[in-house]
Amino acid sequence: MLPAVLLFAAAAVPSTPPSILVSRQLLASEHLAVGDVVALSGDARGSRAREFRIAGVYEPVPDPARLGAAALEVRLHLPDLLDLTADPADPVAAESVRSINVKLASGADVEAFSRELGARVPGLLVRDLAGADDADVTFVVLDRFHLAISLVTVIASSIFLLALMVMLVDERRDTVAILRLIGLRRRRIFIQVLAEGLVIALAGALFGVALAVLLEGGFNRFFQWRYDTALVFVRVTPAIAARAVSVAVPLGILASVAASWSLLRRGAMALARR
Amino acid sequence: MSAKVWAFALRSLARQPGRAILGILGVAAVGALLFDMLLLSRGLLVSFRALLDAAGFDVRVIAADAPAFARPRIADAEAAAAAIRALPEVDEVVSLRLGNASVTGPDGRAHDVFFLGADAQSRRRPWILLEGRDLGASEAAPPALVVNRQLAKALGLRPGAEITLRGDCARGAATAAPPVRFRVSGVVSFPFDEPKAMTAGTRLRDFGQTCGLDERGDVDIFLVASREGAAAAAVRSIRALRSDLHALSNDEIVARFQQVGFSYFRQISAVLSSITLFFGFLLITVLLTVSVNQRFAEIAALRALGFTRARVVLDVLAQAVLLVGTGGLLSLPLGLALARWLESILHAMPEIPADMHFFAFEPRALLLHAMLLAVTAVLAALYPMRLVSRLPIAATLRSEMVT
Repeated sequence: MLPAVLLFAAAAVPSTPPSILVSRQLLASEHLAVGDVVALSGDARGSRAREFRIAGVYEPVPDPARLGAAALEVRLHLPDLLDLTADPADPVAAESVRSINVKLASGADVEAFSRELGARVPGLLVRDLAGADDADVTFVVLDRFHLAISLVTVIASSIFLLALMVMLVDERRDTVAILRLIGLRRRRIFIQVLAEGLVIALAGALFGVALAVLLEGGFNRFFQWRYDTALVFVRVTPAIAARAVSVAVPLGILASVAASWSLLRRGAMALARR
Repeated sequence: MSAKVWAFALRSLARQPGRAILGILGVAAVGALLFDMLLLSRGLLVSFRALLDAAGFDVRVIAADAPAFARPRIADAEAAAAAIRALPEVDEVVSLRLGNASVTGPDGRAHDVFFLGADAQSRRRPWILLEGRDLGASEAAPPALVVNRQLAKALGLRPGAEITLRGDCARGAATAAPPVRFRVSGVVSFPFDEPKAMTAGTRLRDFGQTCGLDERGDVDIFLVASREGAAAAAVRSIRALRSDLHALSNDEIVARFQQVGFSYFRQISAVLSSITLFFGFLLITVLLTVSVNQRFAEIAALRALGFTRARVVLDVLAQAVLLVGTGGLLSLPLGLALARWLESILHAMPEIPADMHFFAFEPRALLLHAMLLAVTAVLAALYPMRLVSRLPIAATLRSEMVT
């Protein structure tokens, strides 16, 4: 990726210029095609522009930190890039790179390698890419934020659920009275309420998970279109579904028990309004 | 609606206190989330705008429209700044160079410092003086330095204290410049500081000396203050003067930020606002519908006694307004408390300035909140109002009596 490299007009040239890859977004925004020849320059004035042939298109690695920013990117061979951007007045510029990516052999000790490299080349900054960085912290924070929002949503839903159950139980006051009058004990009715609560909560939770799975594709497609990215925004994993069910079911049972409590502790005659 | 309608609606709700309280609590929880989402939808934008305006500069000039890490510097900055300063729309130009430095604390540990160099001759500064004196134009020895509270606290610095900085301003490349001893002239606040950032500022010349820079005079950015209300004209003039530079007014920066920066939060606030409103609508509709269903006989009796159709319909609407109104009022303090909690979670994100807020209060958010809840109350009452208005009096009374 080279954000500072600027793209100029396409043109046809007789000799074969060096090849480059362009991002899908750049190809679309500049109406380019594979095989086109474009001129690139390292500065805004377009000085020392060089021509390159588009050899292919690539999809940039989705980066949540750059959500909304169009990935107008070009990939060049390193010598071509250095040739294009190096300051002619600086003799070492053509031999300088910002970073070198190293893949260690399997089982190699990253810390030992970093120490040894640091000792051999003083001033070199060696960083373990597997370690946590700012992007990781951002997503940990977003995760906490989502959790907090879900907590508030769960509280609001619980109140809604409780209100619904209170109304439902109120509607069934006469039925409970008759059940008590014909001899059913409080414990028996309580188990019935518990079982009903369990069935309603399970059905509701499963319906919620099914709805989430159904909406998953739509959400992803909308946001991928909105931000022109391959990022996946919503993913309903079995772990998330299990967590949702494990919160929803006990809450549903609790709501039904809490709502029924006032009926269960009253006498049969009081329930029958006698 | 007359006071009688309100009093009657209140009595109707009071007859089923548990249900009414749950309804109000449900609206309060939903309303609090809605209020927070409204604050979140523009919070970053509002606080970002406030930060941009804080130092009194309304135009920024950079060398290229590229990310900060890859952006070239403005070459021959002294001549460029003088040319921009000479424009009639421009009141003042401050050149700024950004870099890093390190300092050894009293415990022997090295601390990374965000280091910036600025023109010392200007009236405006890219920081706000909190304590001590600002940088002067005189060439005193040791050179003057301003530090933020974080750095002052970490190293126990006060105005008059001395500190040695080792410059590292070539974006990671090692510099061979010797450490420079500074005297702290003042403690300042840098508007875009992160909560934990240790920042120091000095004059451009001393910055160059610390960083071992040559005398080419490159800078990262020009902060421009236009004459009263002439920011757009100043931007046009700068673009005409130097087409190779990128001049952006605060309005343009905010518009761009709105388009790309943290648009995720605007999207999530839009999604959650819609869901919460739908949720509130469902809650009130269900509560009122069930309540009306249970009161069919009573409503039919009231109609038979002489209550007009409009009167009983208004009663349902008044109940909805009372539920949503009380819940909505409760939702404001609840929402503000929730916003503080969510803000503390989100502020742990890296590179967020301490004075930038995800949830920023605006009167328009309050107005929008009230409007949305009012529309929800009316919409939620529509179905039960329809049930009541079409209630056949005689048939209902007969049916209820038989039951």
